[in-house]
Amino acid sequence: MISRNVTIINRLGLHARAATRLVNCASDFVSEIIVKKGARAVNGKSIMGVLTLAAATGTDLTIEADGVDEQQALDAVVILISNRFGENE
Amino acid sequence: MSLTLKGHAVAPGIAIGRVHLAERNELDIVEYRIGQEDVENEIQRYRNAVDAAREQLVELTAGIDPSVAVPAVEIIQSHILMLGDSMIGESTEEHIREELNNAEWALQSQLEKVLSEFRSMDDEYIRTRGEDVTQVVRLIQSKLSDEAASKPFDNFPDRLADTLVIAVELTPGELAILHERGVAGIVTEHGGPQSHTAILASSLSIPAVLGVHNARSLLKEDSMIILDGGLGVIYADPDAATLERYRGVQQEAERIRQSLESLRDLSATSFDGEQVSLQANAELSGELQQSIDYGAVGIGLYRTEFLYLRGAPPDEDAQLEEYRSAIDMLNGKNLTIRTLDLGADKSSDALDFSQLRRSANPALGLRAIRLCLRDTGLFKTQLRAILRASAAGPVRCLIPMITNVQEIQRVHELLAEAKKELDERNQRYDQDLQLGGMIEVPAAALALDQLGRYLDFISVGTNDLLQYALAADRGDEQLADLYDLQHPGVVFLLKHILKEADKLGIPVAICGEVAGDHRYTRLLLALGLREFSMHPARLLEVKQVVRNTHVAEAREAIKHWLDDPVLQAEISLLQLLDRAQTSY
Repeated sequence: MISRNVTIINRLGLHARAATRLVNCASDFVSEIIVKKGARAVNGKSIMGVLTLAAATGTDLTIEADGVDEQQALDAVVILISNRFGENE
Repeated sequence: MSLTLKGHAVAPGIAIGRVHLAERNELDIVEYRIGQEDVENEIQRYRNAVDAAREQLVELTAGIDPSVAVPAVEIIQSHILMLGDSMIGESTEEHIREELNNAEWALQSQLEKVLSEFRSMDDEYIRTRGEDVTQVVRLIQSKLSDEAASKPFDNFPDRLADTLVIAVELTPGELAILHERGVAGIVTEHGGPQSHTAILASSLSIPAVLGVHNARSLLKEDSMIILDGGLGVIYADPDAATLERYRGVQQEAERIRQSLESLRDLSATSFDGEQVSLQANAELSGELQQSIDYGAVGIGLYRTEFLYLRGAPPDEDAQLEEYRSAIDMLNGKNLTIRTLDLGADKSSDALDFSQLRRSANPALGLRAIRLCLRDTGLFKTQLRAILRASAAGPVRCLIPMITNVQEIQRVHELLAEAKKELDERNQRYDQDLQLGGMIEVPAAALALDQLGRYLDFISVGTNDLLQYALAADRGDEQLADLYDLQHPGVVFLLKHILKEADKLGIPVAICGEVAGDHRYTRLLLALGLREFSMHPARLLEVKQVVRNTHVAEAREAIKHWLDDPVLQAEISLLQLLDRAQTSY
């Protein structure tokens, strides 16, 4: 298992569109992806789980990946978040 | 008798027409027990219903024209994900197995659990997403109740022009269907400003008022109503004077829309004969289509980040396929492909990205070409894909965030290597592929006399150039007044870029937000810019200003302003230019 910390920096935070992109990205990999906000941990492949984190902009998250492609999975998810989910603002 | 109703103003616009009441699809969810031997069948019945629901939503997204409704597609995609979400699916199946309940009831109990979780959230936006979960669950339940369930609005007329639909609530999917049938406006009893119905109505430009209590009992089928989406007001059975007033407002809006439409095929030529090239920024096929529809002469900025944000980085062939499909759509118009403009460490453990972000401003970090030059394998894959695409149509290659000469030289080396690799594979490409640089770093702008020698064209990325030049984060609302193109220092930078590029004989385009903001068009023309690239939806507004601008006069008007701080305090540059040109 590997993990990394990342901050939500897009203006709207983990709203529906961003969560959709996150879940789609995580689901591309076989590794298990866990998204943690403080003590709360949710399945990174569950849109409802990710939404209920209510991660606004500025929120610090920890992403954990566990599985055969954990490195690629973690890279992909962190890149997505740190690039504002591809949003322009 | 006339009646006025109020609700949430979520999507502006005036709609006048007849009421059509949507029936409420009440599903009766009954509880019954199943035998142990029926468990697997019941689970299969549940899975079939989910598949049928998914099929309906996928079919729906395929039918939506993304050029008009990207948000619609994205919202429906989030619903598709919810359908397969473990918080619903796995738990429902578990419930069936353990409690021996029918699928409808198991799903209903699960919905209530999930909803209580959503309702306990502090964030109103997240609380509202509970509505989406409910809509998704209702869809599955409707599929369970009747395997061959009819599609929504099967009993509605095919054309809904001059019709306003009044419903208890509308799912994004239902709204997309109503939009396709040309619905004039919508009213719902439930739903607030944060609901997806609101977001969607606004993005589809459907005048809408949501959260009108008892709308379906207060408004009578086939009665005449006026909906003012901007005010969130509905006038039922309006008197003649109100009706006439609103017809006037509606006609005026239509007149403005048509006068913009009529600009579509006209050239972007200023009042005094300057030719201007209006291009579009795009990434998705929907935006490409919109660009063509609004008369863009090319794509001045084709972003490629989306290819890298889907999951694993795309290989050369997958990229090539994307670029070729864009080239096919553009049918001979120019495509300027910008290489990857992401920021993050690819080498994962070598640098912890979160620490990088905290210790430094990410906008000033390892991103764009800086990152690509660290990971040359990734970068060369993209260069090869762009080169191969250039054999299929007019393509240019644009490098983001160029800072110094060494970077451009390195790009040239890598481009030469990529060409050699293609030669070895006997693959075709444009030998003279043009290489451009995005000027976003102020020091690069100031040293353009040196950098420009290695570039075939440049594109000024004003979003970052302004943020760096003014030391003001453009996302920080507290600094909004500082983040201003009219700052004499920024105007100086732009003038300097244009002067140096002119000396070198290389063309300059502008592709930041201001390029598509018609308030700045006159200023940019006066400074000497002739190539603009913007969001496709802005093309017609900007073209209108171009055609109404006397460039030489605008140039004269700003000359004095720049040297005169007293005048600067008196009037903004934009006001000055508008005042000088009101006659055109």
